[in-house]
Amino acid sequence: MGIRLTAAILAGKAAYCVSRLGGGKGSSLPGVVALRIYPGILRVLAGQVENGAIVVTGTNGKTTTNNMLARVLESYGNRLVVNREGANLMNGVTAAFLKESSLRGCLNRHWALLEADEAAFPYIAEIVKPRVVIVTNFFRDQLDRYGELDKTVSLIRTTLTKLSSAKLVLNADDPLVAQLADTGLPRVFYGVGVPTGGKEAGGVTREARFCPYCGENLSYRYYHYSQLGAYRCAGCGFVRPRPDVEALGVEVVDGVTRCKLRVGKKVVSVTLPTQGFYNVYNALAVFGAGVQLGIAPGATAGSLTRYVPATGRLQEFIYKGRPVYLNLVKNPAGFNESLNLLCSTREPKDILIALNDNSADGRDVSWIWDVDFERLQERREILRFVCAGRRAAEMALRLKYAGVPVQRIAVSPGFAAGVRQVLEGNGSVVYLLATYTALWPVEKILRRYAKESNVADRLPSLSHSS
Amino acid sequence: MLTVCHLYPTLLNLYGDRGNIIAFVRRCRWRGIPVRVREVNLGETVEFKGIDFLFLGGGSDREQGILTGDLRRHASALAAAIEEGLVILAICGGYQLLGLYYQPLVGPEIPGLGILDLYTRAGTKRLIGNVVIETKLDGEKVRVCGFENHSGQTFLGNIKPLGRVLKGYGNNGRDGFEGARYKNVFCSYLHGPLLPKNPALTDHLIRLALARRGMDCPLSPLDDSIEHLANKVMLNRLGVAKG
Repeated sequence: MGIRLTAAILAGKAAYCVSRLGGGKGSSLPGVVALRIYPGILRVLAGQVENGAIVVTGTNGKTTTNNMLARVLESYGNRLVVNREGANLMNGVTAAFLKESSLRGCLNRHWALLEADEAAFPYIAEIVKPRVVIVTNFFRDQLDRYGELDKTVSLIRTTLTKLSSAKLVLNADDPLVAQLADTGLPRVFYGVGVPTGGKEAGGVTREARFCPYCGENLSYRYYHYSQLGAYRCAGCGFVRPRPDVEALGVEVVDGVTRCKLRVGKKVVSVTLPTQGFYNVYNALAVFGAGVQLGIAPGATAGSLTRYVPATGRLQEFIYKGRPVYLNLVKNPAGFNESLNLLCSTREPKDILIALNDNSADGRDVSWIWDVDFERLQERREILRFVCAGRRAAEMALRLKYAGVPVQRIAVSPGFAAGVRQVLEGNGSVVYLLATYTALWPVEKILRRYAKESNVADRLPSLSHSS
Repeated sequence: MLTVCHLYPTLLNLYGDRGNIIAFVRRCRWRGIPVRVREVNLGETVEFKGIDFLFLGGGSDREQGILTGDLRRHASALAAAIEEGLVILAICGGYQLLGLYYQPLVGPEIPGLGILDLYTRAGTKRLIGNVVIETKLDGEKVRVCGFENHSGQTFLGNIKPLGRVLKGYGNNGRDGFEGARYKNVFCSYLHGPLLPKNPALTDHLIRLALARRGMDCPLSPLDDSIEHLANKVMLNRLGVAKG
């Protein structure tokens, strides 16, 4: 066994080098290779992590939440295993462990921070036996792989009931997540406690219209986005639980998000060096994990201020003095949030949408018809939409039927030509929105022309209050 | 004024199905044909006589269970409207619902509305993937593409299929048929959504709806280059492009 383990690690590490040399990220291939040689490798490596694993699952926000939490734990001097790049299937998780392992399979790490794809969660959790599980939200995503959302949620529930020693961190604002409290595991709820002006998404992308217990219509006092909000069931009394970690005020100014949070009885202010309302949820989840791990809220706030977004999580670049944002889009809820962001200002802009339909993107692209592109038809400050990727034409079609004038739509299936075209636009800001497998090639091409800017450098200092 | 009815939009709207409504409405408006959309939800009444195009989408099992009871109230009125020429597009769950019954893997069969002579049996394998079918619209062969994702396998009785499968599974993965067609009712498993990248089918539905109101005239042509490109990308990829 020792020889096979070493062989698996060697082969995995070799695969990492080959992948990097070839310009890849080496975030999955090493896992593929090592698991083939020694299928038990993940169990052997995960078993050595001193304090155990923390797993983030759900539809949106996994990568950011995981990386934010890594930042917090590292600030305490912890050495970590993290699948930072969002490779969240069995292969990617295994690759993250391989990277930190010695050739003999020794691992000297305090924590493993893992994001797990919803469908892979049962398998990964069964092996790594997480101490803490964070569940962010459930939206429709890549349905051709999972069947239906209800099935995904029920698989996660079944897995949780088998993890007797896990503690949960649950999004109170999502009824599909909050219901997981009935697994009886110790839990911390987080949520946004004040209306933020979100609209009901026209009954279009809201997933959880009905009470998970009795099937009645859920009624909402307010929405943040999709089904996230203050809900209550008139039928059986199922209601948004009172959060232990709650945002009391949220404000986005000059590309940074400031919020006031209540953690237990303590109130802290936190400044996130990023835009996007959904990042407030990611930060709340991290504070929730902090509660479960006994980390002081002030310390979490301090670490988050210096958070640098991972690839494609609203990563900022500069091209010829203009800001260029790269953001991952993978489902209607997340795409609508990206549209919110680019509609939040009236400055002239150019947009690239890169739509692929490989299996990691979801082979069924019909989800783009659930995104509210109709709101863009009157936005004259969007000068050009460049559609790229394997389904570029489908994307252009969606925009046409949303009412965007066809003269402003360009179809450019190749990424290189698409990126060049959008960068040479006449706007003062550029947004590149890409699905999962389109993200890396787009980023790679973008780096040839544009320089990444470090947002954290121009941040105001952090303030505390209690 | 054409009236489009989306039946149970909050329940039957899986996989971007509302794109079918968007396509129908846009293609009317681009030609100056006035059109409005009525959404009918659980418990609401619906007068089929005032409707020109009815859309029935797909839902998850739970959602479909909720509405079957409600829809049963309308069954005889709907059957009468179909005989009288109401134009309907029914996708996936909506398609199955119009049939005789659905036989789950375990338990008794669930009766459908019994309007169309077809039935559905739950399969053990989900039929998932891109599909291209060939259908005839006004005597002309048209290649229609979309994406299917269903575990139910549908078998036709004395009723015509919508088309023949060129690539993909179709109704049941066995007999090579896809969808069903009766009078002005068009049923299909194709999501995608179906209508936007198959403009010939959309226009066919618009023409039928107009003809039923006595407006039997050709539609003015539109620039469909993006539509045809989106369609061709899939036909090329699946190796069934014409010519």
